[in-house]
Amino acid sequence: MQPFFADLVARTDEARRDFETNPVVLDAVAHGMPLPRYRALLLELYHLVWHFNPICAAAASRIPDELRQVRYFLYEHMHEESGHEQWVSNDLEAVGVAHTKVLDHQPSVHTLALLGYNYWSADRCNPNSVLGMMYTLEVIASVYGGTFAEAIRQSLLLEGDRGVSFISSHATMDAEHMAELRQILNTISDEAAHEAIVNSTLVNFHYFTRMFESI
Amino acid sequence: MRDASDPRLAVLMSREYKYLRLQWSPTYSALRLRTFVKPIQCYSLAAMSELQSVFSYISENPGLVKHYVMSSDVQGVFNFGGDLSLFVLLIRARDLESLRMYGRRCIELVWWMENASKLGVHTTVLVQGDTLGGGLESVMPFHKVIFERSAQAGFPEVLFNLFPGMGAWNFTIRKAGFSIANEMILSGRLYTAEQLQRRQLVDVVVDDGEGEAAIEATIAAVNPRLRGTLAALEARRQAAPVTYEALMTIVDQWAHTAMQLTDRDLRLMERLSRAQARKAGGGSAGAVDEIKRIELDTAWGEERGTGITVWGGLGS
Repeated sequence: MQPFFADLVARTDEARRDFETNPVVLDAVAHGMPLPRYRALLLELYHLVWHFNPICAAAASRIPDELRQVRYFLYEHMHEESGHEQWVSNDLEAVGVAHTKVLDHQPSVHTLALLGYNYWSADRCNPNSVLGMMYTLEVIASVYGGTFAEAIRQSLLLEGDRGVSFISSHATMDAEHMAELRQILNTISDEAAHEAIVNSTLVNFHYFTRMFESI
Repeated sequence: MRDASDPRLAVLMSREYKYLRLQWSPTYSALRLRTFVKPIQCYSLAAMSELQSVFSYISENPGLVKHYVMSSDVQGVFNFGGDLSLFVLLIRARDLESLRMYGRRCIELVWWMENASKLGVHTTVLVQGDTLGGGLESVMPFHKVIFERSAQAGFPEVLFNLFPGMGAWNFTIRKAGFSIANEMILSGRLYTAEQLQRRQLVDVVVDDGEGEAAIEATIAAVNPRLRGTLAALEARRQAAPVTYEALMTIVDQWAHTAMQLTDRDLRLMERLSRAQARKAGGGSAGAVDEIKRIELDTAWGEERGTGITVWGGLGS
């Protein structure tokens, strides 16, 4: 039997490929995007990042004792991600959006659907589904984040990491996270958990792609 | 002659495929398979699974298919080879096991092609458009390789410090010899159809639009002496054997090498991957154009003494 990570990659391969070949994503990765759209993207990301830890916490509280390694993994991950919404806010400030505006922003329906699904799934379905959310976000950040940050930097003439610190740093950091996530996923043998993680990955790719399209 | 009412054939033809289009020619018991991999015409895991299921079915039903013909249904692209963004993902996740699994799945397909003569199947491929890396590797085990004149092919893997690991060495050495294999794989150059024919890797070059007629002519010529041809091809295999073990050893080495790629190598791989996707999205410039650009960049790097890997230009 192949390790679960390999199974996850194979079963969600088409969703990943749909994201990467979406014309809006392709264009953004190749040419960056105009300032208003980049601002809109960061505003959506702020809410995704802000809710990341509460979703992980909701899941961690329901992870069964037999999967304590997953619970510890979530604790560590939450600790690492704490305060990263501030990085997004700093980037927004660097491109001319005040913090008060960030808090007032009403996320798009796609972001709300993504967040709502992840809370619901962690609370009402299978708490391991949170690993599908993490897998999706880390694939996007580690595989596409670096080139996207570079394209934004060039198209908006930004200097260094100013304005792109969140995306740029996560591109590097999430390469490490991806390796750790693979290890933890391969420790899970429960079939129901596998199904929940695969389904969650498909839903997360779907809504993340829709969110990206809509900005 | 086997008509479509044969229940074994009905099973094969009525299956649903997302990335393959199958057509049956009863006159020659010929199965035509056209690939149409969305969103990028490459060897994705899903596309390979579909191909494997067709091959397995042919193996399980000896005598059903006598000619297997493959081509692409994507304008301007035969196949871009490996799924580069999947490679980037797996390398970043340090997932050697999955990378090996991907490579081994490719070898299973190549190995089926290599054994086709033993299964009583003559194989023909028509290449119309770009074919790179694993795409070219997948062409090499076919008994008859037909290229339309505008098609281009090569092994660009050396560009990002990798090598083609799914049969390129074995089959290029067998068909063209060591020096050609060295030249093609270590330079990473792109070749025109005629250049490949001069190197014995392509059997027939026809003008654009003439590929279908060339397939017909090939099958019509081979069919009356099919048993003899297949026996001769089987003997040819024994004379210049390519072994499953050697293919598997090389693909394992390929996976280990891939795990050593640096960030710069991965960024180049991502650049090619994006170019593949741009072409899939209807853009005129694809991976082949990107390779040419990278060649130029590299040449400039050499000029400036930055020590980036040497790349040859498009030559004779």
